[in-house]
Amino acid sequence: MSFSTVLSASMFGMKVEFVHVEADVSNGLPGFQMVGYLSSEVKEAAERVRTAIRNSGLDFPAKKTVINLAPATMKKRGAAFDLPIAVGILLSLGKLDSAKVRSMLIVGELSLDGKVRKVPGILPILAEARAAGIRTCMVPRVNAAEGALVEGIDVIGVESLEEACGYLSGTLCITPAPYPVQEHAGQPSHGLDYADICGQGAVKRAAEVAVAGGHNLLLIGPPGSGKSMTAQRIPTIFPPMTLEESMEVTKVYSILGLLDSERPLIRERPFRSVHHTSTKAALAGGGKVPVPGEISLAHEGVLFLDELPEFQKNVLEVLRQPLEDHQVRITRSQGNYLFPANFTLVAAMNPCPCGCYPDMNRCTCTPGQIQHYLGKLSQPFLDRMDICVEAPRVEYEALKKGRQEESSAAIRERVCRAREIQNHRYRGTNILTNAMLGVREMEQWCALGEAGEGLMRQAFSRLGLTARTYHKILKVARTIADLEGEAQILEKHLKEAVGYRALDKKYWGR
Amino acid sequence: MDQYEYWLSALSISDRKKMMLHAYMKSAKGAYYIEETSLHRFQFLNETDRNTMSQAKKIWDLQGEYDGLVKKQIRLYTCFDPEYPKKLADIPDKPYALYVKGNLPDERLMSVAVVGARSCSRYGEKHAYEFAEFLSGHGVQIISGLARGIDGVSQRGALMGRGKTFAVLGSGADVCYPRENIGLYGDILEMGGGIISELPPGTQPRPYHFPKRNRIISGLSDLVLVMEAREKSGSLITADLALDQGRDVYALPGPVDSSLSMGCHQLIRQGAGILISPEMLLEELGISGGNLQEKKTEAKKMLESLENMVYSSVVLYPRNIGQIMDESGLSAQEVLETLVSLEIKGYIKEISKNYYIRV
Repeated sequence: MSFSTVLSASMFGMKVEFVHVEADVSNGLPGFQMVGYLSSEVKEAAERVRTAIRNSGLDFPAKKTVINLAPATMKKRGAAFDLPIAVGILLSLGKLDSAKVRSMLIVGELSLDGKVRKVPGILPILAEARAAGIRTCMVPRVNAAEGALVEGIDVIGVESLEEACGYLSGTLCITPAPYPVQEHAGQPSHGLDYADICGQGAVKRAAEVAVAGGHNLLLIGPPGSGKSMTAQRIPTIFPPMTLEESMEVTKVYSILGLLDSERPLIRERPFRSVHHTSTKAALAGGGKVPVPGEISLAHEGVLFLDELPEFQKNVLEVLRQPLEDHQVRITRSQGNYLFPANFTLVAAMNPCPCGCYPDMNRCTCTPGQIQHYLGKLSQPFLDRMDICVEAPRVEYEALKKGRQEESSAAIRERVCRAREIQNHRYRGTNILTNAMLGVREMEQWCALGEAGEGLMRQAFSRLGLTARTYHKILKVARTIADLEGEAQILEKHLKEAVGYRALDKKYWGR
Repeated sequence: MDQYEYWLSALSISDRKKMMLHAYMKSAKGAYYIEETSLHRFQFLNETDRNTMSQAKKIWDLQGEYDGLVKKQIRLYTCFDPEYPKKLADIPDKPYALYVKGNLPDERLMSVAVVGARSCSRYGEKHAYEFAEFLSGHGVQIISGLARGIDGVSQRGALMGRGKTFAVLGSGADVCYPRENIGLYGDILEMGGGIISELPPGTQPRPYHFPKRNRIISGLSDLVLVMEAREKSGSLITADLALDQGRDVYALPGPVDSSLSMGCHQLIRQGAGILISPEMLLEELGISGGNLQEKKTEAKKMLESLENMVYSSVVLYPRNIGQIMDESGLSAQEVLETLVSLEIKGYIKEISKNYYIRV
């Protein structure tokens, strides 16, 4: 037999596309030709494959070899086709058992000595393969544990081309990789805890409310007041990740090849701290062939933007759509790329360029400077921050007080309870948390009593609220009520929520 | 005012020399028509001054420039005019001319200058506003510099008291600096006050203009109130000038650990008057205040005990939730709830995120 086909796959954004690798070895002028709309890294496979076959102790005959990657209309990228190409050639030469290859998906990169190197995207590829009814997959050994996370599919991890040939010709037996042993149940171990932070009661409380209702949080405070410390610990009070959530996050990391080969499954909520020099593409995802950005890496976790006003305005603006849709869509001429981006945004900023406002004894900024500093944030962006709280400078007494601070576990327990109430209430809708409520749903779920109505009417005229802040306050009040297990939003919940509202820029720095 | 006076006052030679020229030649017109060949007879003019003068004569369009001035509704008063403020005429380094948009202060009424830091605290702001409002409500004219901070606030207060207020600028009278006070600039004129400058129209603000204009602020007033000043500040320069000019200086005391009040305390130590209340000041000035006791009483109305506790922790300086929590021993939720209800009731105000002050 001179013709053979091997099934492989490649990632396009979060989407998996199956690719048929066809190999034909025939008599004629010796040569190696590859067709099928290939990018240069795929074309270079020719040299790698030829040398790897030779260095694995196998014979590469002087024949005319043609490789086609189908479908021919789709641009193929990446080095994961090396192994299937090599297998295809050897199959055409009749050195392997074609029955074994037929129902198998193969991915892997080859090095010149015949070793199989790791490739990104194993987890989504295998998940898709299983959905398509494929029973066995051959992947690089380093990726085997990651692949084994997909249940119901046999994952054969191979170290080298030689091993692959041994397995496919029936001379070598490789047992499918077992499901990776990881602390599955139980609490994730972050090593961080809210008990480490002295004082900052208001900030901790705000973080608790933010996580309980899925609200975005803005921390304002002078340098060194522990804004970053607080933010880093926010993942510790999230409810533990469900397996589905874990898998989804792990898939994103898999595409970028960021997984640990021993313990691939991500069990801890991601915390992504982004530097203010980041570009739009780094944040939202992008590139010629789009890859996930920081917001997708923060999926189901926390995206932390420190020094918020230092970010370029247009960089922040790209966050607006993902904050609404909980996913990010990147459009290229070749098609749409959709990445998950359901993250909690935590941002931190100083109240003024020197950080000391409103302490006029220390602040050296002019009102113009403060206005300019705040002017870097757009009002639509500020409007997406449901909870805004000040992180004050920590005084020495607070550090030394030795007061027993509440641990993350205790806070997490309350958060979980509030989330359960929300899950129960929004069952059957596509709403997950209070932050996702629309105006119509709010009428149903955030009804106020007479006292509450009166309070809001007063607050509206006294504090100059707008319709938008009004709705945000209601959502936050709903969460606070849920934290206390109250079905009805009471006056005190509203009051606390009013205290968390983001200041309108025109009243700021006055 | 005539086109020759405008020419002479816009000339870049010193005020003293302008006055001498004007005095020798009996008028600005006379100064304009001095033969170039006879200029050297004026011993006080040096080479540069003579060049400046002959140069200015060549390029200055007498009628055109004058028409421009009239069009801008700016009037010019030289120190030889009878309308030139008497109080200002007495100071040693009076300006040769004043450009005025609107009116000059009424000489028969009392004028008070209110000055202070540009980056001031809420404390200074509040008292500057209240003093100015109260004084202007009793017919006192408020003079200040339209700057950020105390200056602007006191002039707003004066307008609120339905009185007249006058701004002395460090730029041309038609140039509003800082830009953000353009509303105030218009309101001052509308209320019958005036914008005053010794600099020709169109002059842009320069740092060295401001210390010079301070002598006009104090010169136009009967006494000077310093609301908040750091140890080295422009307001202290004004106070020094005021003392040189024989004006009374009053300073507003503040907390001893506030750097913004250091300048004021220094003045008090040197013998300046202490500002305790607008009523007391009015009494000292000998103006009958009428019904002085109508001042609003402290907000000690029926507050719930929790609210009382939190309210007592909120002072005139911005304090944040953490400080209030420490002082009252309440939890973050309780403090926040109580602060919001106090805010809704109008007793306190959030001035920056989670920073509160008493109203």
